Amino acid sequence: MLKKKGIEAGDEVTIACPKGSFTGLLMPRPEGAPDTFVLKLPSGYNLGISAKGASIVLVRKSGKKEIRHEPEEGRGDISILGCGGTIASKVEYKTGAVYPAITPAELRAAFPSLAKLAKIHSRQLFTLFSEDMNAHHWKLLAEEAAKEIRAGSHGVVVMHGTDTMTYTTAALSFMLQDLPAPIVFVGAQRSSDRPSSENEMNMLNAVFSAKQDLGEVALCMHASSSDDYCHLHRGTRVRKMHTSRRDAFHSINSAPIAAVDYQNNRFEPLSGYRKRSGQASGLKAETKLNDNVALVYVYPGIKPKFIEKLDSYDGVVLIGTGLGHVPVNSFNDKTAHSILPQVKGLMDSGIPVVMAPQTIHGRLNMLVYTTGRMLVDAGVIGDGMDWTPECAFVKLCWVLGQTKDMKKVKELMETDIAGEISGRSPIGVY
Amino acid sequence: MKIGLEIHQRLACGKLFCGCPSTMAEQDAKPDLIIRRRLHPVFSELGEIDLASKAEFEKDRSFVYQVFAGSDCLVEMDEEPPHRLNPEALSIALELAQHLHMKSVDELHVMRKIVINGSNTSGFQRTAIVALDGKLETSRGEIDIPLLAIEEESAGDVGTSGNETTYRLDRLGIPLVEITTTPDILDGAHLVEVAEKIGMMMRATGKVARGLGTIRQDVNISTEKGARVEIKGAQDLKMLPMLAQNEVKRQDALVAILGELRARFKGKAVLNGGISDVSQIFKSTKSPLISKGIASGSSVFGLALEKHAGLIGREIQPGKRYGTELSDYAKAAGVKGIIHSDEDMAKYSISDSELSALRGMIGMKPDDAFVLVVAPAEQAKAALTKVLERARMDFVPEETRRANPDATTTYMRPLPGRARMYPETDVPPIPITAELLKAVSKGETLEEKKARLLKMLGNAEMADKMLRSRNLGLFEKLVEGGAEPMLAASTLENTLVSLRREGAEIKEPGPVLEELFALYGKGKFVKSAIPDILKEVAKGKSVADAGKDYSIISGKELEKIAKDLGYDLRAIMSKYRTRVDSKELDRILKGDIRK
Repeated sequence: MLKKKGIEAGDEVTIACPKGSFTGLLMPRPEGAPDTFVLKLPSGYNLGISAKGASIVLVRKSGKKEIRHEPEEGRGDISILGCGGTIASKVEYKTGAVYPAITPAELRAAFPSLAKLAKIHSRQLFTLFSEDMNAHHWKLLAEEAAKEIRAGSHGVVVMHGTDTMTYTTAALSFMLQDLPAPIVFVGAQRSSDRPSSENEMNMLNAVFSAKQDLGEVALCMHASSSDDYCHLHRGTRVRKMHTSRRDAFHSINSAPIAAVDYQNNRFEPLSGYRKRSGQASGLKAETKLNDNVALVYVYPGIKPKFIEKLDSYDGVVLIGTGLGHVPVNSFNDKTAHSILPQVKGLMDSGIPVVMAPQTIHGRLNMLVYTTGRMLVDAGVIGDGMDWTPECAFVKLCWVLGQTKDMKKVKELMETDIAGEISGRSPIGVY
Repeated sequence: MKIGLEIHQRLACGKLFCGCPSTMAEQDAKPDLIIRRRLHPVFSELGEIDLASKAEFEKDRSFVYQVFAGSDCLVEMDEEPPHRLNPEALSIALELAQHLHMKSVDELHVMRKIVINGSNTSGFQRTAIVALDGKLETSRGEIDIPLLAIEEESAGDVGTSGNETTYRLDRLGIPLVEITTTPDILDGAHLVEVAEKIGMMMRATGKVARGLGTIRQDVNISTEKGARVEIKGAQDLKMLPMLAQNEVKRQDALVAILGELRARFKGKAVLNGGISDVSQIFKSTKSPLISKGIASGSSVFGLALEKHAGLIGREIQPGKRYGTELSDYAKAAGVKGIIHSDEDMAKYSISDSELSALRGMIGMKPDDAFVLVVAPAEQAKAALTKVLERARMDFVPEETRRANPDATTTYMRPLPGRARMYPETDVPPIPITAELLKAVSKGETLEEKKARLLKMLGNAEMADKMLRSRNLGLFEKLVEGGAEPMLAASTLENTLVSLRREGAEIKEPGPVLEELFALYGKGKFVKSAIPDILKEVAKGKSVADAGKDYSIISGKELEKIAKDLGYDLRAIMSKYRTRVDSKELDRILKGDIRK
């Protein structure tokens, strides 16, 4: 009906209906009843008017949107790569539309203090919600980040959605070793179109971190619910621990790398970390990866058939209970059902099985109980490891990209490559 | 003169976008958690930002939020997205809209209205239009009610110290309805009538919150030669006519000052605006205010206002001068106040020599005035810049002002431009279906309720009292439970009140009175015992126990007492008034007389 009258969203219209006559801007239809007009009144309020028995008349067409071309800027000191997490937005109050801010000029407008901190250049690699990302995007990002560093960037900041950010940070940690410059991931829990968004503080602290003598992949987000300072976490050690809080990201089984507060020029180390090393010109991303790996949550009564059917994968990570357990029926009870034969079956057919903790925190120890010992005897990898399930999954994908040999897989998995494994469980970090 | 009214009324239900109760912590309660935040304005596509936001942003504030565990959750802390809009609140809003003969929207869209003075942790207030196009009958014609919106209360302002403003989050999120009239209210008296009528209509539903601070009246006043001014926070209806009158007088006085200036300048007023550091003049001043300031690191800055002599001291509101306006603008920059030349310098112990040195230093002519500020240099300069800005306005400025208890007003901030609003995408649009509207109990109109109460009570005065009473809901409940209407009403409106005056207050009258009238209905004690029983309950006794102390004396026992006291009515009543049924006693005495 609208098409026939040549009316589009953004046009000024008058809608006459039994309740009265209303003039305003026609809004695009969000998800909802398709038979309702959404009108923005001159006061700024939106409301919905049923299309039943209503007539709509065009008052004035909206002006054509001017595409402003900004002058090209030269390379900056710090590169900012965007993956779609909107860390910076602009709002068009006339229509209520929210646009991502990505060009250097837009980022400087969104973060006025940015110019004082560093000369930046920025580009958008792709636009996806992070839950839609996969190994393809990890590879792309690793290659682009390496490209930036080879071209002379002193540090790279990656704007990424918070949902799966730590899978990506783990992936890049394995793909880019001996970093001559840090790669700092940043996001925002509260969308950046709102004044309370913690994006500004996170972004500025991320850029500040990217300038430091740091040679790792890291993640920079709020340390507490207050806007006081951020924590910089190791990319292989960080996990999102809350659906919505600003301080959702925690380091697991370790302290964060540092407390960061750009306003007070504070980069306070909280644990040891790798400094910049290697030649920028020689930086290469080892992006070979096999993402045909299953990440499986283990639970009481998990069916042996379920494990059996995992044989179409090239690797399996089991998120086991306690110290690294799955049902193996150590006491040979009639009422318990072991999945050990199926796990062994996978291993025997060349599919490595790796253990990770359901408790998230704590170190695996599969020698304390019979259950664990039986799994170790079957060849399950992971005893003594203090990695997170997400990191173990990403690491296995990366290791399987390097080798298919079961012995070498076990060796590589049990070697600390990017800080994902440590020999000591620090106190005060739980 | 045009007068419009905007009423904000809290609803009697849980918070609007989360599961917290709408109860506030005690005034002096200690917060369970403190968090610190900053807000930043999000520039529009065109890089614009409205005046009021700019004013706030310039102050470079940080915000301290007090979190109270009984009233707040992660939603108030802006650490969790909003939950679905409270359906009970929506229902109440729709009912109020129906009472005002309004047309509800077909689909409710929640909007984010940008607020960056820190009073909302998210940086915006969630608000939605519920209904439009209503009417209110008044004794002087119909008033249009164009808008009823539902929105969340802001956090409570605890105070500002330097660059930090502290807020309490217990108030944040309590549901409000906002009811706006067109500016067709005729005068102060009419304003009171409109406010009262709307207020009573809302209270009669029993579904709005009662008590101090639960209703706020903002009055918009514009005069022909003046400007549109929004006056916030007039709590006392009785104050409204005086408030309106004073505002009109204030605007007229400002217009007169502008006219006077034009005459003095023989044309448009031109202020050169030199702000100078005059601290050295007061190096060894005897003025305590200035010397203390200098000792603690402040400077003294001065500004000359050409041809303003005598105008700054002119009274524009009862007890307030044009200088008070300039001072309020200066205060917005964080200083405590100003000193101006129309004041008596002896008040500050400023010597004549200091005065003439000052006049010389800032280049004042005989008909000029000056303004001084004692504060740290940057703040002092900012304050005088604001004063100059205000003095340069050759019109009455559009402002948001605060109502004071003495019916004068004080400048708060510039009138905001059109609200910056965009959709609250975390809350999907809500269809207002026919089913929902049907389920909204409209209940009685105010007129119907008035008539019903009159019929029940048979007394116009008590009916009116009950209609306005906070106890109306409880009254209806008690009558429904079988209590005699007049007895229930007088117990609520008279007995409880006099008990409270005597210091015997019953904190939760609801359950107490329900039990009381249940026992009374069973004939456990007589009507005249009720005040004494309640007095005992206020002291801590249970209703049952207190009731026992006043159990009815009747039958043989009463006959014996009557006999013992010689069937003397006065003697018997003076001793046992609260224990005997007068009808029964009457029968006994009459019987005796017949004997």
